[in-house]
Parts: sequence; structure tokens; C-alpha cells
Amino acid sequence: MSKVTSIQTDQSAALADALYRHAARSKRWGFIFALWTAVLWGAWYVPGTALWYEFPYSAIPADDRALRLTAVAVMTFVHAVAVFLFLLVWNGVLGKVSDFGRTFVRFRRISKWYALASICGGPIAIFGSYMAMGFVGPVFAAVTSLFYPVFGAVIARLWYHEKITTYAAIGMSLIILGGVAIYGPELFGQDTGVKEHAWLGYLGGLMSAVGWGAEGAVAARAMDVSDPDTGIQCRFTFEIMFWGLLILPVLSFTGLPVFRLISDTLADGRAMLWIVLASVCHAFCYTSFYKSFGLIGVGRGEAIGNLYAVFALLFIAAFTLEFPPVYFIIGLVLAVGGSFVMFREPADAITTLRDAQSEGGAA
Amino acid sequence: MKIHQKGFLLQQLSNSDRIWDVELVKRLLGYYGLTGLYWENNTRVTLDELTAAGLIKSVDRKLVDLGGRTQLIFEYQLTPFGRERMIDTGLLQEVSP
Repeated sequence: MSKVTSIQTDQSAALADALYRHAARSKRWGFIFALWTAVLWGAWYVPGTALWYEFPYSAIPADDRALRLTAVAVMTFVHAVAVFLFLLVWNGVLGKVSDFGRTFVRFRRISKWYALASICGGPIAIFGSYMAMGFVGPVFAAVTSLFYPVFGAVIARLWYHEKITTYAAIGMSLIILGGVAIYGPELFGQDTGVKEHAWLGYLGGLMSAVGWGAEGAVAARAMDVSDPDTGIQCRFTFEIMFWGLLILPVLSFTGLPVFRLISDTLADGRAMLWIVLASVCHAFCYTSFYKSFGLIGVGRGEAIGNLYAVFALLFIAAFTLEFPPVYFIIGLVLAVGGSFVMFREPADAITTLRDAQSEGGAA
Repeated sequence: MKIHQKGFLLQQLSNSDRIWDVELVKRLLGYYGLTGLYWENNTRVTLDELTAAGLIKSVDRKLVDLGGRTQLIFEYQLTPFGRERMIDTGLLQEVSP
């Protein structure tokens, strides 16, 4: 009798151990994907910034606001097309191109959410970020963007009851504080007094934080019933359509040289090299971003993704040999500390990411 | 056109009270004409995502010997929230395979 009990105990211990390892593996992969988001997002800043130093963008006067905004629209469009091509290769290798088509055609019920996510993350967030850069300053734009996980977590909480645990809230706060410690001191030295229409910059900063935060929550709504790899390709397909069929034709109609900028970009080898490098970073950054949502939730995925602030400075330092100031260390410690707080959260606490499972509980 | 894979899994679960993942994997691979460990694992990850999102829940689990290796398998059931989400996204109205 005691032998039977012993075998049963061994079996239940083995089952408990297997369940723990299963939950830990899901959590670990969720954090690995979110960390890749941060690394690739940080890396993206190098080609993304270098592009401005190549023709035709280098020839645009700094005070020609309309032409600079047109340039942003053109480079975002060409960039989105390149990201789409990389994702096509990615899904081709994974064998998911057919599933992309099956998801994309369900516009009224499913892929409309990816269309909305592309508006939040594209025209709203990117345009807002450039407004913040142009009307207040680049550091202000960087700092305001750091708050996007707060908006993402709040929207996910209110909309479909995603669990925001104490670990997640503390970790998120530390990562944001870390980002502010990195960029904040420079903000005080930024000359904002002479800027005209500064309110447009503040509005832009808010648009970037809300836009990127909302993108995660909206995309996760579609990923409830669809695959993240095919979802991200839907999102970029819609982004190409918004810029290519709506925004660029409207800009062109107002007399801005949209088509000349596109042809000059495509004809310039160095500009295209930077766009290709930026696109490959962005394609896999976004893929990792979306894949992390399903495993650890929108709030955690976006907060770990926020470590891009650290990686961006490290990559720029590696390529320009301009090393970040000493207070970077404080920001680094806070951001890394916040990540560890999040990672210490018990794996079984995030096997289900939402509080409610009853009808009407989560919508 | 066939339904997408996550939709297929939800539809299978909506037609039964509960199904083991081994059976779900078999049905999915058969329906889409897929073979191999990659697709088996890919389907299990999809089931993990559906569980994390609260659309399905595991109601039983056990360790079994599959092809010479011990594997943890789960029995899944559609949750009321999952059914609600299927109605939202039109998956319950479509004809199941």
C-alpha cells in the first residue's frame, strides 16, 4: 500500500515539475522576445538617424517644415514596404504565408484591428514623435515616448482586464524612471523657450505615447484569435496602404514633391542601404514585440521593450564613439533593475494574463 | 478559403466539451496537410497563447510517453470569454470543417 502511495507521490511530483517547467519556458520566451524588441529597436536608431545624412534628405533645409514632414512620410512609406518584404521572407520560411492571407481577408471581424493598430503605431505615433522633435526637441520626443507602456497597460487593463501585478507595476515604473534618468538631464538643457507653437510639440509627444501604447492593446485584441507572425504582416500591409494610397497622394495633391523624393530615395544606393538595415531591424523588432504580447501580456512586453532607450545609446556610442554621460549609469541600473523585478514574477502567475474569464468579464 | 489556424483550433474546441492537445494537433495537421515536429510544437504554442489570453483553459493534464519521450499534455476547454470572442470575430457563424 505504501509502495502505491510512493509511486503516486512520485508521479504527482513529476507532473508538478513538468507544469512548472512548462510555465517557466513560456515566461522565459516571452521575456526573450521582449528583450529582442528592445535590442533591435535600439539598433534601428543607427540607420534611422544615418538616413537623414543621405541624399535626398540631406538636401532638405532644416527650416523647411513642410518638406521635412513630407520626407518623413516618404521614408516611412519606403521603410514600411521594405519591412513588408522582410516579413514575407520570414513568414515564407515559417510556412505561414497562407495563414497571413486567411487572416488578412477577414477584415470586418479580425484584421480591422491590425488596420487600427497600424494607424496608432504609424501615422499617430510616428507623426506625433516627429512633431515633438520638430516643435520642442528630440530629447523631449524621446522622453515622452518612454511613457507608452503606461498607456498600453492602462488600455489593456480597462479594455480586456489584463492583469497588472505588483511586480509588473514596480518593474514598469523603474524602467520608465531609468529612461527618464538617461534622457531627462539633457531635457533641462534643451532650448524650448524660443520655439514657436510649442504646444504642437507637446501634443505630438502625447500622440506618440498614446499611439504606441494603444497599438499594443489594439493588436493584442486581434491576436486573441490570430497568429502574431501573420498579424504583424497584416499590420504592415495596412500601413503601406495608409501611406501609399491615402497620405502620400494627399500630400502630392498639395504640390509637395512626393514622387521626386520617392524616386530619389530609390535611386540613391546609400539611402537604400540605410533603409534596408533599418527595415530588417524594425521587421524583427516588431515581430518580437507582437510575439511577446501573447506570452507575457501587453504591459510587460511594452515595458521590457522600453529598454530600447538603453540599447539606442549603446549602439550609437558603438558607432560614433561618443560615449554617454555618467548619469547614463543611473538610468541603466534603474532600467535593468526594473527588468529583473518583472522577470522575478512567478511563472504560474502569468500563465493566464487576464483576470476575467466569464462572459462580459473581458471585452 | 480555409479558416486561419487559430480560428480552426477555436472552432474545434467550440464543437466539443473538451479535447486533448494531442488530438487537436492531429486534427490541425490533417486539415492543413502539414507534418513534422515543427508544426506540432507550433500548434502547442498557439494553444498556450489562447490559454494565456483566457479564450481556452486547461481542464486536465498528464505526463505520457510519446515516441519514447515523456511529454506533458493538456486537455482544453473553450471558456465563456472564448465563446464570446468567437462570436465577436464571426468564428462561430462560419461552418466548421
